Amino acid sequence: MLARFSLCLRAAILRSVRNTAAFRFLLFCMIFLLLILPLAATERVVNVGLYENPPKIFSDENGEPAGIFVDIMDAIASEQGWKLNWHSGSWEENLRLVREGRLDLMPDVAVTEERKLIYDFHENPVLLSWSQIFSHRDRDIRTFSDLEGMRIAVLTGSVQQRILEEIVSTMGITVNLILLDSFDEALHSVSDREADAVATSVFYGRMKAREFRLKESPLVFQPSTLFFVSQKGSNADLLDAIDKSLSKIKKDPNSIYFQSLRHWTPEAQSWGMPSWLKLSILLMGVAMGISVLAGLILKRQVRLRTKALKKANLEMEKRIEERTEELGFALRQAQVADMLKSAFLSTMSHELRTPLNSIIGFTGILLQGLPGEINDEQKKMLGIVQTSSRHLLSLINDVLDISKIEAGQLELHLSDVNLRKITEKTIGLVSLQAEDKGLKLDLHIDRDTYYIRVDQRRFEQVLLNLLSNAIKFTDQGSVSMICTSKDDNLWITISDTGIGIPKDKFDNLFIPFQQIDMGLTRRFEGTGLGLSISQKLIRLMGGDITVESEINKGSSFHIILPLHQENNDG
Amino acid sequence: MDKLVLIIEDNKENYYLMRYLLEHKGLRVIGADNGWMGIEMAIYNNPDIILLDIQLPGMDGYSVARRIRAKDEIQDIPIVAVTSYAMVGDKEHALAAGANGYIEKPINPDSFADQILEYLNIDETRRDDEDPMC
Repeated sequence: MLARFSLCLRAAILRSVRNTAAFRFLLFCMIFLLLILPLAATERVVNVGLYENPPKIFSDENGEPAGIFVDIMDAIASEQGWKLNWHSGSWEENLRLVREGRLDLMPDVAVTEERKLIYDFHENPVLLSWSQIFSHRDRDIRTFSDLEGMRIAVLTGSVQQRILEEIVSTMGITVNLILLDSFDEALHSVSDREADAVATSVFYGRMKAREFRLKESPLVFQPSTLFFVSQKGSNADLLDAIDKSLSKIKKDPNSIYFQSLRHWTPEAQSWGMPSWLKLSILLMGVAMGISVLAGLILKRQVRLRTKALKKANLEMEKRIEERTEELGFALRQAQVADMLKSAFLSTMSHELRTPLNSIIGFTGILLQGLPGEINDEQKKMLGIVQTSSRHLLSLINDVLDISKIEAGQLELHLSDVNLRKITEKTIGLVSLQAEDKGLKLDLHIDRDTYYIRVDQRRFEQVLLNLLSNAIKFTDQGSVSMICTSKDDNLWITISDTGIGIPKDKFDNLFIPFQQIDMGLTRRFEGTGLGLSISQKLIRLMGGDITVESEINKGSSFHIILPLHQENNDG
Repeated sequence: MDKLVLIIEDNKENYYLMRYLLEHKGLRVIGADNGWMGIEMAIYNNPDIILLDIQLPGMDGYSVARRIRAKDEIQDIPIVAVTSYAMVGDKEHALAAGANGYIEKPINPDSFADQILEYLNIDETRRDDEDPMC
């Protein structure tokens, strides 16, 4: 075929010399083929044996080759450009085929001196393997002597059985070897607790450790290095290629080599954790426990505090309610008290005045002689009755006034009052009194018009009180009322030339029920309320009453009232 | 003159006092001792003036005054309230209820009748009160 091809090629070249386009095309084809051909020529089919020894080499559930050796072989083959043909069979069968040259390679063969004579081994070992004692997870095996008295499962006729028997007899310990037909059975027996430990290859043990709840013990024996083998003298090139590739992939920590190992034999099958891990987990656990506990304690504290606060809050609210109620009650009581006071005063006023009405009234009628003429004696006596009853009325009025003032029930009706009118009126009212005693009565106002903002009735009451007092306590001389303005105030001074008041009695003057001279009470009648009422009234009107006096010279009482500009022109 | 005075007053002595003084001045006097009767008598007799005690039992004086003012037949009759002047506001209250003036108790026997005559002569004008203090 090659010959015919070259002929066509020659013809094509000859033809192309005459045609440049065709020539270019041909050139391209030749270069292409030149590149392809070497590859095609050296693509090699490699027949590899496969037997069942997971995880190193086996067929998976789909019948596909799987395992560590398979992964490594695949990697080598892709690098070398080999096409792999896996031949599944038993260990012995495959080895026989290798000896006969019908299989190129057999993986997972431990090197021995014997075998070196039969097969060709490459240099770079693929895997290191050994046998290892695996125990039940709950058991702790440290040394070979720990095996004393244990039941140990092994594969019948396996190397593990043989070596174990040797070790046991060498060490002089007694073990109970349980012989089983497969590794799986052996492992099962441990997990079922029919055996205490199992001796198996490290790879298999590690692969199955989790499943069978096994723990690696430190007891290892029978190490072996595993290679690919080939028919003696045949495939030196294959073996060389394997070595080259192997050294490459074993150098790279991320290569298929390590990946495969990690995949098929997950590390740390020992259920015993490294102590540092144990310690840190313990510490973490403790720390967590503490924090959880602390959290709980804190929560509890918070809860308790919240409860206490809520309770305190409720109590406060309750107390506030109580207080409010109390206040409300007190207010109502005060209001009721006010009403009662008001009603009392009103009733007392009425009750006291009613009989006086009759006394004063009928006495007056009798004195007028309306029912008939009366003689002088009768007139005199009736006069006394009338005077006394008027006095009684003024006392009652005083008492009611002071009661009202003290009870806060007194209300003033302020109006703008013409000073001249009111002073002239009151002077007129006492003129008879003054005349009877032979006293001079004067009124001076420094301006024509003054308006004062007062309760007219009450102000009259005050003026009359002071004028009466002045006349009462003066035996000779004069009583004068002088009105002047100083700054924004109006001064009404009622002076007399009377007996005067001792300075040490000044403070008591305006106190209710205090008479200056208790010894002279009879002479100067009165309850001593007049001055205190007068002062209180003037104060309620925004002013005050002050006094100056000298014994035997006379007294001056000053009524001071604020002047409102808008009411006064001058 | 032949003026008629209606006194509405529950206290017998007060009534006697006022009546004596007024009759001595030549006035005719009729009386009632409670508000309802007082209003009836006012309607029936058409007095020239009504003296009204504020502190009446049952219907108080203010109500009587208001009712009198509300009745067409008698609303123009001058009313003088007679009061103990116990509390502040009594005066204003009386005037607000319809009184034309008021007199304070205890009355002044010397001037009482003259005051009433003044009310009779000057119809429906307000007057300043006289000083009740004797």
